[in-house]
Amino acid sequence: MKKLFLVVFSLTLIINSFPAFESTYKPLESEKVLFINGNILDGEGNEFLNTDLFINDGKIVAIGQGISVDDEDVKIINAKNKWITPGIIDIHSHMGVYPAPSVRTSSDGNEATSPVTAEVWAEHSMWVQDPQYSLALKGGVTTFHVLPGSANLIGGRGVTVKNLQRNTIQSMKYPNAKHSLKMACGENPKRVYGNRGQAPSTRMGNFAGYRKAWIEAENYLDKLEAYDSKTDEDKMIESPPKRDLRLDTLSDVLKDEILVHIHCYRAEEMALMIDIAKEFNYKITAFHHGVEAYKIADLLADNGICGALWADWWGFKHEAYDMVQANIAIVDQARGGKGCAIVHSDDERGIQRLNQEAAKARAAGNKAGYDISKARAINWITSNPAKAAGIYSETGSLVVGKNADVVLWSGDPFSVYSLAEQVFIDGALAFNRNTGFGPVSDFDVGIVDPREDRVNE
Amino acid sequence: MNKVIFFFALSLISIHTYSQTTVIRGGEIHTGLNEEPFVGDILIEGDTILEVSRNALKGDLIIDAANSIITPGVIAPDTQIGILEIGALSETRDGDSNMYSMGFSVYDAINPNSTLIPWNRSNGVTSAITLPDFNWDPLSGMASYFLLDGSLRVNGIPDIALTGEIGAISSGSRAESLILLKDLLEFASNLSEKDISSSMKISEAMESFEVAELMELQPRDVIALYNLLNKKLPLIINVNRASDILKLIDIKKLYGLNLILMSAQEAELVKNEIAKNSIPVIINPFDNIPDSFDELASSIRIAASLEEAGIKVMFSESRTHNYHLIRQGAGNAVANGMSYTGAIMALTSNVAKSFNIPDRGILQKGMKADIVIWEDDPLEPSTFPEKVFINGNDMDLTTRSSRLTKRYTDKRDLPNTYK
Repeated sequence: MKKLFLVVFSLTLIINSFPAFESTYKPLESEKVLFINGNILDGEGNEFLNTDLFINDGKIVAIGQGISVDDEDVKIINAKNKWITPGIIDIHSHMGVYPAPSVRTSSDGNEATSPVTAEVWAEHSMWVQDPQYSLALKGGVTTFHVLPGSANLIGGRGVTVKNLQRNTIQSMKYPNAKHSLKMACGENPKRVYGNRGQAPSTRMGNFAGYRKAWIEAENYLDKLEAYDSKTDEDKMIESPPKRDLRLDTLSDVLKDEILVHIHCYRAEEMALMIDIAKEFNYKITAFHHGVEAYKIADLLADNGICGALWADWWGFKHEAYDMVQANIAIVDQARGGKGCAIVHSDDERGIQRLNQEAAKARAAGNKAGYDISKARAINWITSNPAKAAGIYSETGSLVVGKNADVVLWSGDPFSVYSLAEQVFIDGALAFNRNTGFGPVSDFDVGIVDPREDRVNE
Repeated sequence: MNKVIFFFALSLISIHTYSQTTVIRGGEIHTGLNEEPFVGDILIEGDTILEVSRNALKGDLIIDAANSIITPGVIAPDTQIGILEIGALSETRDGDSNMYSMGFSVYDAINPNSTLIPWNRSNGVTSAITLPDFNWDPLSGMASYFLLDGSLRVNGIPDIALTGEIGAISSGSRAESLILLKDLLEFASNLSEKDISSSMKISEAMESFEVAELMELQPRDVIALYNLLNKKLPLIINVNRASDILKLIDIKKLYGLNLILMSAQEAELVKNEIAKNSIPVIINPFDNIPDSFDELASSIRIAASLEEAGIKVMFSESRTHNYHLIRQGAGNAVANGMSYTGAIMALTSNVAKSFNIPDRGILQKGMKADIVIWEDDPLEPSTFPEKVFINGNDMDLTTRSSRLTKRYTDKRDLPNTYK
C-alpha cells in the first residue's frame, strides 16, 4: 500500500508539471540613487519636468520635487536637462535564438519541422553569449521577450528575460513571468509547409491547423481534469493520462497560464483569430507586426488586444504592403484612447533605438490629426509591453514600489540625438556610457584584437 | 492664319512657363557643401537654380521658408527602388539576370509607377541609384541612376556604375573570388577600342582569355568591362572584412579602378589606407551588429571614424522600401560623433561626386533644382518635408500610405471602400 502511494504521488507530480527551468535571477548590487531635477516620463501618461526620483533597494521609492535623502551613501545624479524614463521593454525579440553572427549552427529560432510545435521553448535555444544583448542595453532596453520564429502555426513558448547577460538562461529569466505562446498567421507557415507539399499550403489550411490543435488541447485538458476530479482511491487504480509536452503548453493557454502572442499582418486574419480564441475560450494578448492593425483598431480595443507594431516597415511581403505610418497611433487612439499600442523591434538594430521608432510613430500620428503627447507615446515602449508580458505589476512604469528599471537619457528620448547615458535594472547600474561600464559577452572578448574587447563604443 | 496665331499663342505660353521664377525665401540653407548653414534665398528658374544668396532675391513666385530647413534632395546611393515592389514576390523583382553578368543593365526595368517612388520622394529622396542583385560574383551587373519624379519616360543616367562582391561565401573561397576579379580586370586591361568594335572582334578577344570563356561572358559583358577601365566607371564592391578591403585597395591601384566600398563594416580598421587612396565608402549607420565573421569589428562609431579620417561617406539602408530612413541613420551618425555638415553631405553631394552626377546634390548656382524644404531638422526621423522639388517642379507628396491613412481616420460611418 505504501509503495503504491509513492507511485501515485510521483505521477501526480508529473501531471502538475514540475516547475522546470525556474528563474535563478539575482539583480546586481543595487544602489541608493537620487536623480535630481530630471524631466520624467513615467510610463503612466505623465510628464514631470524638473523632478527628482529616488531609488533604493532595487525599488522606486519616491518621485517629486525637492526630495531630500538624509543618507551619506546616497549617490546623487544631476539630471538637469536630461530625461528619465522607465527601462525600455521589447515584446518581440529573437536575440539569443537568432544571435550574431547569424551562422546556421546557431540559428535556432524556428523548429520548422512540423506546423504545430507547441512543445518547444525559446529559452532552450537561447545563446547567452549573444553580443546583441549589450547593444540593446545601450539603447535602454532592460527587459525583452524572446519568441520562437513564425515558420509554424504554433511555434512554441516565448520567454521574458532581464537584460543582464549571464552564463545560464535561468539566471537571466524574469522571475515568475508567464510564458507566451507564439502563433503565426499568413504567408510564413503556408510557404514553409506548402513548399514541402504538406499542410498548410493555404490560409484556410492555416486556420484548420489552429483549430485542430485547440480541439486536441481541449480533449487533453478534459482528460486531465477528469482525472484530477477523481477520488484518491480511483487515482490509485487508474493511471493518469499520458503526459504530452505539446498539449501541456496548449492546455496551459486554455487555463490562462500562458499569454498568446500572434504574428499576424492582415486585418481579416486578425479578426478570424479573435473568433478562434472565442471558440476555444482563450485570450489573445497581442498581435505582432499587424501592418493592417489600423483597419481593425476598434476591434482590437474592444477585445483588449494589444498591437505590437513597427513604426514603418513594409513591402517585404504582400501581407505587409498596406503600411501607414500612423498605424501605432490609430491603434493607440481607438475607442477614444482605449487601445493598447506597442512599438516592437523584431530586429537587432531596431531594438537599440525603440525610442526613435516611437518618435516616428508619434510624429506620424500627430501628422494624421491626433494629439499624442510624449508622455503617452512612451507607454508604447514601457508600460504597454510590460502589460503584454504580464509583468506590469512589477515594472514598465516609474511608480513607487515598482522595480527600479530606469533609463537616464542625455536629452529628450524622442530625439535622434539623445542617447541612454545610464541604465539601471532593479536599482543596479547596468550600463554607464560616460564611464564605459557595462557587460561584455564572452563572444566579444579578444575576438578582433586579443588585447581588446570586440568594440569599445 | 489660324496656324500662325496658334503657333504664336503656344510660344507665348512656353515663354511664360520658362520665365517663371520661384524664390524659396528665408530658410536655413544647408548647401551640401562643407560650409556652415546660413539663412537666405534660393532662386529657381525652370529646372535650374539661378542663385543661392544670403540676400533677398526677387522672383515671380515666393515660397516662404522662414523657420524651415532647406537641403539638396537626398540622393540614395544603393537602392533597388524601381526594380522591386514586394520583397518576397520574385515576379515583382527585376534585379537578377540569368544571361548576363557585368553587362546586365537594370535601367529598362525601372517602374516609374512603383509605390516606392512616391513614398521615398515624400520623405525627401529626390533621386536614387538602383543596383542589380548581388550574386556573390566579384563583378556583376550595372547600377543606374534616376530621378524619383515618377515620369513615365524615366529621367536618369543608365549604367553609371558596376557592382560586385567580395567576402565570405558558403562554398568556395574568397581567394578564388579575388583571383577571378584580377583575371577579369587583366582581361579588361588588354581590351582596346578596336576589340569591342564588333561582336566578332569581341569573340576574338575572348578566345585569348580563359576567364572570359569560364564566365560565359556575353559581348555586352565585355563592353562593360572595357568601360570599367577606360571610362573609369565607378565600381561598387560590397565587402566587409578589413583584409578584403586591403586586397581591393591593391587591385584598385594596379588597375586604376574608381573603387567605391559598400557596407565595409570593418573599414575603421583600415581607414588610413582607404583615406590615402581617396576611396568613398557607403555605410549603413544603423548596423553595428557582427552579423558574420567578416563583420566582427562592426561598430556604431564607423561614420564618425571614417569622416575623421577624411573619407567621403555615404549612407545606405538595408530596406529599400524605406530607403529614406538614411536620414534617421544620418541622425544616429551625428549622435555618435559625426559632424552635422558631414552627415548632410553624406546624404547629398558625396553621392553626386562619388558617382559623377555633375549637376545635383548641391544647392548652388547652375545646379538642377532638387530641393527639400523641411519643417524642422531633417535628421530627426519625426521631421517631414514640407515641399520637395525635383528639376524645379514642386512635387505632389501624396502616397498610397497617406491615402490609406486618410481613409482609416475618416470617422464617417461608411464601409472603408466607400470612403
